[in-house]
Amino acid sequence: MSNDSALAISPWALTVVTPLSELDDSALVSAAAAGNREAFDVLVERHRRTVYQVCYRFVNNHEDASDLAQDAFVRAWRGLKNFKGQSALSTWLYRIAVNVCLNRVSAKTPVTEAIESTDHFEDARIEGAQHAMIREERAVAVRKAIAGLPKKQRATLILRTYHDMSHQQIADVLSSSVGAVKANFFHALVNLKKILGSEP
Amino acid sequence: MTHLTPDELIDAMEGLLSEARQSHLAACEHCQRELAVLSSALTEAKQVSVPEPSPLFWLNFSQRVRVAIDQDASTATNWPAWLRWQVLLPLGAVAMIILGLMISVPKQEGNDDASVSAALQAPVAPEAPEALDRWVMLADLVGDIDLDTASAAGVTLMPGDAEQAVLQLTAEEQQELTRLLKAELTRAKS
Repeated sequence: MSNDSALAISPWALTVVTPLSELDDSALVSAAAAGNREAFDVLVERHRRTVYQVCYRFVNNHEDASDLAQDAFVRAWRGLKNFKGQSALSTWLYRIAVNVCLNRVSAKTPVTEAIESTDHFEDARIEGAQHAMIREERAVAVRKAIAGLPKKQRATLILRTYHDMSHQQIADVLSSSVGAVKANFFHALVNLKKILGSEP
Repeated sequence: MTHLTPDELIDAMEGLLSEARQSHLAACEHCQRELAVLSSALTEAKQVSVPEPSPLFWLNFSQRVRVAIDQDASTATNWPAWLRWQVLLPLGAVAMIILGLMISVPKQEGNDDASVSAALQAPVAPEAPEALDRWVMLADLVGDIDLDTASAAGVTLMPGDAEQAVLQLTAEEQQELTRLLKAELTRAKS
């Protein structure tokens, strides 16, 4: 019997159900926008780390960053029907996360967190505890300095430096102009240097 | 030639400076120092990573998002916008203040009714059963609350809240409020 005849006899037998985890973002967005929560779960799992990292760099502590990241995904779910796919989903999520952070940051002073990753202990074995500690202290100082920048400068520095977004993409996210983005980036770096320069 | 602008310094740092300006940069110590400051700050920033949370956090995070979405959906669907507590509480407070005034102020003979009409300056709305039901529900919600109880619960009324609340009502709702207030005035007098 040929494959064609098999198709004619039982077409449903050839229906392939692709696992959600194998679908691309746009297919998952379509499914989630139609109300499929499992599809949205996959999107959350796929993008949660980058969204969390944006938030962490804004507030420099885990508790607030996790709250902000959660809030960003709730808003993303609410706004899925408005996502038309003109930009990548990640850019759209960055936009939401940055706006959530900008709104929260304006109402709350960032709290610095001194807790560091466990990588610190691995480094200590290799480089010596003292060297690792100095490096870690410097990292804490840099994160604190970034979290203390004015919010537009902070957003620009974070998106440009850590998420490799172009000036135009950042301008889109911040509803700003390329010129303003460059100016903010410039002032962010100058201020960062000033703050770090005054650190002991 | 003028020094590099902030835009140009960013372009220079990213290798996008025009040739004409590059020749200025090559000859200008001031601009070279500025560029070095920017590059050094960027290099230092790039070396700093975000501490990775525990794997357990990520497992819980997805669950937290799910729960938050459920809660968001349940709070968003139940009540019409004008029946939110931010609107209801000031409205209830206004109603209680008016009732309190009616009880404490001695009755006057004459044209009270006309003065109330003039003050409110709004026509009386026809009876609307749906709107009436809403006002009955509103009365049920706030009817047993006095100002002391509300204050003790932390509900305070700022100057202008009542006006804001009334301004949020539609024209139809304002007419209904007018009708109810007039009915209360009439009832208090009788």
